[in-house]
Amino acid sequence: MNVKLINPFIESVYELFATMLNCGVSRGDVTLSKLGGDPKHLVALIGLSGPARGTVALSLPVDTSLQLTGRLLGPVPTEVNDDVADAVAEMANMIAGSAKAKLGADTGTPINLGLPTVVTGSDYKVVYPSDTVWLDVPFQSELGQFSLRVTFEFSNGGA
Amino acid sequence: MKVLVVDDSSVMRRILINALNTGGITEVQQAADGSEAVAMCAAEAYDLVLMDWNMPNMRGIDAVRTIRSSGNTVKIMMVTTEAEKSRVIEALKAGANNYVVKPFEPATILEKIQATCAS
Repeated sequence: MNVKLINPFIESVYELFATMLNCGVSRGDVTLSKLGGDPKHLVALIGLSGPARGTVALSLPVDTSLQLTGRLLGPVPTEVNDDVADAVAEMANMIAGSAKAKLGADTGTPINLGLPTVVTGSDYKVVYPSDTVWLDVPFQSELGQFSLRVTFEFSNGGA
Repeated sequence: MKVLVVDDSSVMRRILINALNTGGITEVQQAADGSEAVAMCAAEAYDLVLMDWNMPNMRGIDAVRTIRSSGNTVKIMMVTTEAEKSRVIEALKAGANNYVVKPFEPATILEKIQATCAS
């Protein structure tokens, strides 16, 4: 995966936090990872298909997910519930949707977005294909830290 | 004004409803997918429908086509993550009156709603 392809996703995170969360955000260095992520996090997964195939994963510690939900809906929830899972899923959906439009601007054919899936709990393991390489971007905000993980490739091998 | 908010995300529905309420629009109903929206539009008259694109059971774009094919002229505004120009054109051809891309600022939604209803 071309590392430059992560840029539209990073821009989309900035846009999302500025518009819907009224919150500044800063990022750390992009790293390559084959690891499955932190099992104590809530992870929202969205598949991309069509001209590009891959997965976008938004991974948040529980406290960040609670703070984020509170910023969107009002009082900060005290535990992970359906609202928190739905909020994390919708955040991932908006990041992936915005980024895919930026990625597909020159291809003519829109990239298709799957419906988000959220993994929660304290005892799970996400197993990815062994040859999958993820671009992992850590972020810091006043709502807490989180990370965005992306893996995808264009079907024609281009872009 | 009576508004139907259609989105599979309950959080997004609440965000939209909060924005509508802030703008003084309090008569709001909600649907979680396109097929539910089609049924509600057939059963009741709305002034405006806010329609997501990607939903289970029936996508928003298909719901717009179905609503229009029934002769219903309700104002429909897409509110979606689908930001490509080709998607916007597809929605307008299907019969949508306006288009807002997520993420959005609440004030933007209210401005677009006013513009859509005035058109």
